[in-house]
Amino acid sequence: MPTCQKAARPLVRSLRDAQSSCQSVRAIRAFTSSARSNNEAAVESTRPTPVFDPATVTSIKGEKALMKSGIFPIGSRRRRAALKSSDNIPFEQLPYQCFQEARKVLQADREEKLQAIQKERLRISNLMAQDPSNISGGEKQKQIRLESMRRHLEYLKIQADINDPLIKKRFEDGEGDMNKPIYRYLADRKWRKYQRLVIVQRINQLGIVPDCLPHFEPTADVRLAFRKRSVLPGEFVDSRVSEVPARLKVQVFDKGERLVSVVVIDSDVPVVERDNFTSRCHYLATNIPLSPTQTSLPLSQATETQLVHPWMPPFAQKGSPYHRYSVFVLQQEPGKTLDPAELREKIQRDGFSLRSFVDKYHVKPIGVSIFRSLWDEGTAGVMHRAGIEGADIEFKRKKIEPLKPKQKARGWEARHSGPKYSWLRR
Amino acid sequence: MAPSTSPLFRLLTPLLQTFRNVSSRPSLPTTLSPLSQSKPFSTSPQLLARPSKKQPGKDPRITLIRYHLQHPKTPRPLRLSRMRALRHWTIHRAWMLSRRKRLEKEEAELYRMYQSMHAACEELRTMDPPGSKDAGRLYRIAMEKKGIYGHGGVPIEYARLQTETPGKEPWNHGWTR
Repeated sequence: MPTCQKAARPLVRSLRDAQSSCQSVRAIRAFTSSARSNNEAAVESTRPTPVFDPATVTSIKGEKALMKSGIFPIGSRRRRAALKSSDNIPFEQLPYQCFQEARKVLQADREEKLQAIQKERLRISNLMAQDPSNISGGEKQKQIRLESMRRHLEYLKIQADINDPLIKKRFEDGEGDMNKPIYRYLADRKWRKYQRLVIVQRINQLGIVPDCLPHFEPTADVRLAFRKRSVLPGEFVDSRVSEVPARLKVQVFDKGERLVSVVVIDSDVPVVERDNFTSRCHYLATNIPLSPTQTSLPLSQATETQLVHPWMPPFAQKGSPYHRYSVFVLQQEPGKTLDPAELREKIQRDGFSLRSFVDKYHVKPIGVSIFRSLWDEGTAGVMHRAGIEGADIEFKRKKIEPLKPKQKARGWEARHSGPKYSWLRR
Repeated sequence: MAPSTSPLFRLLTPLLQTFRNVSSRPSLPTTLSPLSQSKPFSTSPQLLARPSKKQPGKDPRITLIRYHLQHPKTPRPLRLSRMRALRHWTIHRAWMLSRRKRLEKEEAELYRMYQSMHAACEELRTMDPPGSKDAGRLYRIAMEKKGIYGHGGVPIEYARLQTETPGKEPWNHGWTR
């Protein structure tokens, strides 16, 4: 390439580029021999305010202007410059031969899967139309077959989309539509890879399973936060932080809308008379609608028809061991609502038992989030504001006299037991 | 992936083993000798610092791993941009899919062949009515296993008497005819 061409290349590029308006204008003007100052003054008077694209802005001025308006430029300046000079080909049309061949293979497979889905739908509808007396095994066998066919249909739906790179990208960007089975499947897989393992470990470590429920397999992702502070499973939370009702973010991975109940239980309430612990309900709300797309569940927003027991701030009295607060999300039977007024009468806060609640109202626990609390300097204030008595109580371990009689001090201890060495003993 | 299963570590393990043996030997004399040679004329006793046990220097395994990872012949790690990684993923998925389809097709073809052979033998077996002369003759001929161990061969299992446990001497190397 001759030198003149090499030198002119950036200029040509900037001329070709329609987006970079300011730069190209400046480059063109470099060749004019007319009076520049006049021109520029005239242009500036009529110049419209430049619109900067956050994806392609490269000048410091443009970045500053964007940031002032509250939009932050995307990526690095280097990346933005590269984007500016590229001819934005969509991802699926990128001219790489192997990639295009791979896409063809995947598309052919997808077509096959779509046909299989149609066939399976047809088979399901045929089976549903059949009279159960014609099927060997009768009604029960028909239902079993229908169930397995539906499961196969779900499997096919996922298999049709799982090889799509754009779906993968959209899911990784968090733009997946949770109404579609493939995104729900991907989210579930991701949750099971880390988050579920953590919460299951906390359930076992903190003894939630034998204490609150006989057995429990979480199937929904529950994230807990107080105001802006998100709480990791099993974390110690300051009592001033947990004074306000928690915000829950519940992600379910199966389709459809359902009603849930939310219970917050403290399972370490000391009972001095019996020298034992019991549990207490800190919050109870029912009939809260939940679906894969409707994930936000702020406990403070519960209405009169939902709220049974309002939020009672967690408090651990002085000297008592840490209290475990578990926030359970319980799925109600489809199409059934619970009556909050009736619940308010029947269910007391003190001595609340989740086992009996689950058994009595036929709710199914789907998710849990756990936090812990200890006495801290704010607890007395929290209890005072909530009108709870007992902030002045301090729990102490009962001293148990040893069975063996106390032995006389001997040796060094005997020599230092006099009043002269009282400072040694405190 | 656990480090022990990675191919790089599998390659490094024998090297590490040899180095572990080397490092366990005391290396004091080698460090002393150049110092004593550098001051041959001084008569005062040389007060050398005791080799401190707190800081044994760098771990030789780390040194070795570094050496091999930063060696110019080690290929550089793959660093793909996001879109490129996505393209790579697409190609990989398509390759796995086509390979699985090919394998399934081959398996189905083998199964079909076996089934057709089976059907043919069944046909031969039931061809003649029972009691007739030469009933099932063709079937018996078809079931013969002549020549499947080569011409005039015997199965290798017959080369030695079959026993429950391996012999004391697995192979007699000194045997001559």
